[in-house]
Amino acid sequence: MSSVWMPCGDYHQSYAEDHGWWQTRFIKFKMLLLLAVIFVIIPQFLSGYVMSVASMVGYTAMGALGVQLLIGYTGLVTLGHAAFIAVGAYTSTLLVLQFPWPQWIMDAGLAYPISVLVAGVFGGIWSVLFGLPSAKVKGFYLILTTMAAQFITVDFILTQYVSRIGGRGQAFSLPPGTIKVGPWVIDSEREVYYLMAVILTLMVIVLANLLRSRVGRAWVAIRDNDIAAETLGINIVWYKLLAFFVAGFFAGVAGGFWVSNTAALSPEHFPWFWSLWLVGVILIGGVGSIHGAIFGSFFMVVIMELLQVGVIPLADYFPKLLMSFASLKEMAFGLAICAFLIYEPNGLAYRWWQAKNYFNLWPFSY
Amino acid sequence: MARTGQIKQGETLLKLEDIHMSFGKVAALAGIDLEVKKGEIHSIIGPNGAGKTVMMNCINGLYKPQKGDIYFKGERINDLSPHSRAALGISRTFQKIELFGGMTVLDNIRLGRHIHLKSGIVSGSIYVGKTKQEELESRKFIEEEIIDLLEIESIRDKTVHMLPYGLQKRVELGRALALNPELLLLDEPLAGLNLEEVEDMARFILDINEEERWKVTCILVEHDMGVVMDISHNVFVLNFGNQITDGPPEEVQKNPDVIKAYLGEEDLYSTRR
Repeated sequence: MSSVWMPCGDYHQSYAEDHGWWQTRFIKFKMLLLLAVIFVIIPQFLSGYVMSVASMVGYTAMGALGVQLLIGYTGLVTLGHAAFIAVGAYTSTLLVLQFPWPQWIMDAGLAYPISVLVAGVFGGIWSVLFGLPSAKVKGFYLILTTMAAQFITVDFILTQYVSRIGGRGQAFSLPPGTIKVGPWVIDSEREVYYLMAVILTLMVIVLANLLRSRVGRAWVAIRDNDIAAETLGINIVWYKLLAFFVAGFFAGVAGGFWVSNTAALSPEHFPWFWSLWLVGVILIGGVGSIHGAIFGSFFMVVIMELLQVGVIPLADYFPKLLMSFASLKEMAFGLAICAFLIYEPNGLAYRWWQAKNYFNLWPFSY
Repeated sequence: MARTGQIKQGETLLKLEDIHMSFGKVAALAGIDLEVKKGEIHSIIGPNGAGKTVMMNCINGLYKPQKGDIYFKGERINDLSPHSRAALGISRTFQKIELFGGMTVLDNIRLGRHIHLKSGIVSGSIYVGKTKQEELESRKFIEEEIIDLLEIESIRDKTVHMLPYGLQKRVELGRALALNPELLLLDEPLAGLNLEEVEDMARFILDINEEERWKVTCILVEHDMGVVMDISHNVFVLNFGNQITDGPPEEVQKNPDVIKAYLGEEDLYSTRR
């Protein structure tokens, strides 16, 4: 968590300033600009296609933040995060479709937001359930228990039982107008985008705040040295489970959000590959940093979109390319991870940090 | 700031009674009795493999002795986990440095304040009001009491794994102190330091033991006899799990068993020269 060097002449005069997020006027300006781009420029001036890609980036980032919290900050390697996203998606869908909401809640448009929150809590509890082995096992063995979460949840419980609720066969579909936040019906790219931007911003705020307070420090301590953490008064098991809960909560909310985008739901949306993908995202973005998760999501989604755009003209000559695009995607994924592990194991976030330092120090070299 | 302890200076703070600990057939501790009075520096010495660190781990809770009782402030703590013992006021440093390598010096020391802070996931994620207040207060404490004492102002924002060994030892002491402990276990705080660093470290230990502000009782495991004999009030000698003697340094130095255990048999010692 080494921070960027302060530009010459900027000093902190109180501890509060030193604990703040946006420590200089320039950073404040930069961040406000970023928020303006996210909340005004993209949704108002860019096409629906860009917004749908951005929503995909956001969805990936929501999942990746949870994975980042587990792997990057607490050191608990997880390969079953898609399961918790699935739990969130199914919980929120079932609640929206089947729960006997009182009329005033329906009128106020609160059914969906409440469902998403409940989905988060449920995802968190589900995640804690599969995090329980972390009290005893570490590393490689923990990877296997989290993988078990994936197969038990998605391939077994959701596919065999939950999907059959209501007698619809394999997929749920949400009729138009059911997904409503207050007075806004979420039914176009722009509304989905706004929903994504708000949720993702809140998640980043929550995670960043946690990481600068007691809980987050305990997580990082467990990652770096669990024995020392224990002797300093940290109940390791409790904090590991707390990490699983928060990561599962994020996943559940991400799942609940995703429903608004697809308006349909089936277990194929949450394959094991998606769990692996999220780990790849944080490897590429940079393990142990919040912007790593976001950079990684951005990179992966945009690369895949470019790949798709690039493949379409080639399809005239190689018709098989389009048909086997899924495997092409997996290949690109593998290649990207290999390339990053070899050439930039610290990920994009480290490059970003280097660039910031370079400009802070410019024109001097150190 | 000091915890409302019933224990006054000079009364028994920690008591080990007949501690047995073995790993398989190897008896690491065979019937150890130790009594540490509040306010003293009690050293544990002995040759390599004598069981000094095992003893520390038993006090600290990382190991659970198979037989025997450990009392802290009159309360039996055998069944408490390390983190609940930390909450009672037992803090420690390690022989091999066990810092949180990826965190900054400041965050390492902040982590030591863990048991004194209250925020949970909800209050922590909002970070206003009480959480912010307690973070600021803890920062003030760390800056004024610990960073100032240990003279590590210039490295507070450095990542720990980049620091030289001597400074890492100092940061580890700072982290243990941040707990505001009543009993501090120091496992070879001087190992691997150069002369100047040894002097500094010995001064810090004396400071935290004697200053009105701290008055921390210390258990010191150390090989540097000069320092041990100079600063300890009592010295406990251990040899292959057996207690040899326990008393003021002057007595211990004259004890023939200690000389035997530490320096080898007299004639063997002379033939080597």
